[in-house]
Amino acid sequence: MVDPITSRRWLYRGLFLLISALVAFFQLLPLDLSAGRWPGPDIMVALTFAWVLRRPDFVPVLLIGLVFLVSDLLFLRPPGLWAGLVVLGAEFLRSREPQSRDLPFLVEWAMVSGVLIAMILASRLIQFVFVINQPSFGLVTLHLAATILSYPIVVAVSSMVFGIRKIVPGEVDQLGHSL
Amino acid sequence: MAKDRGSSDVYVRPLRRILIGGMVLFLFAIFLLWRIDSPRVERLRAALVDQIVPSFDWALLPVTKVAGMIEGFQSYTRIFEQNQELRRELQQMKAWKEAALQLEQKNAKLLDLNNVRLDPKYTFVTGVVLTDSGSPFRQSVLLNVGERDGIVDGWATMDGIGLVGRISGVGKNTSRVILLTDSNSRIPVSIQPSGQKAMLVGDNTAAPPIEFLESPELVRPGDRVVSSGDGGVFPSGMLVGQVAMGTDRRLRIRLAADYGRLEFLRVIRSHSSEKITDPGALLTPSTLPILPTVPIMPGLAESVPPVEGAADG
Repeated sequence: MVDPITSRRWLYRGLFLLISALVAFFQLLPLDLSAGRWPGPDIMVALTFAWVLRRPDFVPVLLIGLVFLVSDLLFLRPPGLWAGLVVLGAEFLRSREPQSRDLPFLVEWAMVSGVLIAMILASRLIQFVFVINQPSFGLVTLHLAATILSYPIVVAVSSMVFGIRKIVPGEVDQLGHSL
Repeated sequence: MAKDRGSSDVYVRPLRRILIGGMVLFLFAIFLLWRIDSPRVERLRAALVDQIVPSFDWALLPVTKVAGMIEGFQSYTRIFEQNQELRRELQQMKAWKEAALQLEQKNAKLLDLNNVRLDPKYTFVTGVVLTDSGSPFRQSVLLNVGERDGIVDGWATMDGIGLVGRISGVGKNTSRVILLTDSNSRIPVSIQPSGQKAMLVGDNTAAPPIEFLESPELVRPGDRVVSSGDGGVFPSGMLVGQVAMGTDRRLRIRLAADYGRLEFLRVIRSHSSEKITDPGALLTPSTLPILPTVPIMPGLAESVPPVEGAADG
C-alpha cells in the first residue's frame, strides 16, 4: 500500500520529467532556423531551481543529473559539463532551502541569479581551459538575462498551476516528521 | 535549522554527500572523456539522438505544421499584395526561363561540338527536417535520413536553390546537418565573376562573413558565390549566395537558401572520385607486363625500372 504523500511525491517527480521533456520538445521544434535570433531563456534550469527552493523532495539529485545529461547530449552542448554545474548549483540551493523559507521573493531571486551567474562563469572558464570553441559573450549574457527574467514567471506558474509552494511550518512527511 | 529526524540524519547526510560528489565527478568525467575522445562520445550522442528524436516524430511534424499555419494566417491579410507581387515576378521569370532555355540549348550544342566530358550528374536523397539544434548557440538541423539511406559524413546538403550545410554526425535513422551559419562551419567558396577563392566562416549570424580573400577590391556586393570544391570537401559550383557589405564594413554572404523555411533538404551524394596520387602509377600500370628480355626500343627499357620503383614506394 502506497501512502498518499509518497505517491504525491512520485507524481511530482514524474511531472518534473514530463515538463522537462516538453520544454526540450519545444526547443527542438524547427520553427525558425535563421541564425542571429535572440537566445531564449533556459526554462529547465529556472524550473529546477524554483522547485528545489520550494519542494526539494520533488527534484532528487539523480533526476536533475539525468535530465540535464540527456539535455546536454540533445542540445549539442559539451556533455556532462552543464549537467555537473546544474547539480552543484541545485545542491547549493537545496542546502539553503530551510533558511530561505521565510525570505522575501526578491532575495530568493537575487540568490538564484547569483548562482546562475556563477555557473555560467564557471562553465566559460572550464571551456576556456579546455580550449573549446565558445559562443560569443554577448549571446551568453543575453541568454543568462533571459533566464533570470523568466525565473519569476516559472515560479508563478509552478505555484499557481502545479501547486508547488514553499513549505510552511506544520507540514509533515510520511513518517510525521516536520519537513 | 529546526529539524528532527532522529538518527537517520546521521547516516543519510554523509551518504548524500558521497552520492552528490560521485555524481558530479561522473558528469565531469563524461565531459573529460568527450574532450579526450570526441569522436567516440559524439557517436554515442548521435546514437542517443537517433533513439530519442524519431520516437516523438509523430508529434514534431504536426506541431511544426500548426505553428507554420498560424504564421501563415498572420500573413493572410497581405495575400492580395503578395498575389500581385507574385504575378509580376512570374512575368519576369518567364522571360528568364526563355533565356535559360536558349542558353541551355546553345551550351549543349557547344559541348557536343567540343566533345567535353562533364562530371557525372550528382544524385541526391531528400530528407525532412525533424528538429533544430535546440540551443541558440548552435545552428544545425536533424534530418530523418541516416545510415540506413546511405548517408555519409561530410556530404553537402542544399534546399531547392542553395547550399545549406554539410552532414556531420550520422545515426541509423537520422543525420545532423551543420548549417553554414554555425560557428564551426568553414566552407571553401569562389566568388564568381572574379573567380577569387575564399573561405565562408560561420559566426552564428544570418549572414556569415568571407575570410582569406586575396584581393577584396575585386569583389563587390552582388557577386555570386559558389562552392569551390577545394580540398575535396564539397562538389564545386553549388550556389551559396551573394556578396553583401555588412554594417561592420565586412564582406558577408547573403545565403541563397531560405533558412527561415527549411523543411526538406537534399543531401547530395558525392561520389569519391579516383584520386591521382602517384604519377608513375598513372602512366604505367603498377603490375607491369612481362618484359621481353631483349629490349625492343632502348629508350623504353631504360625508363621502366625507376617507374616501377616509384610505384612500389
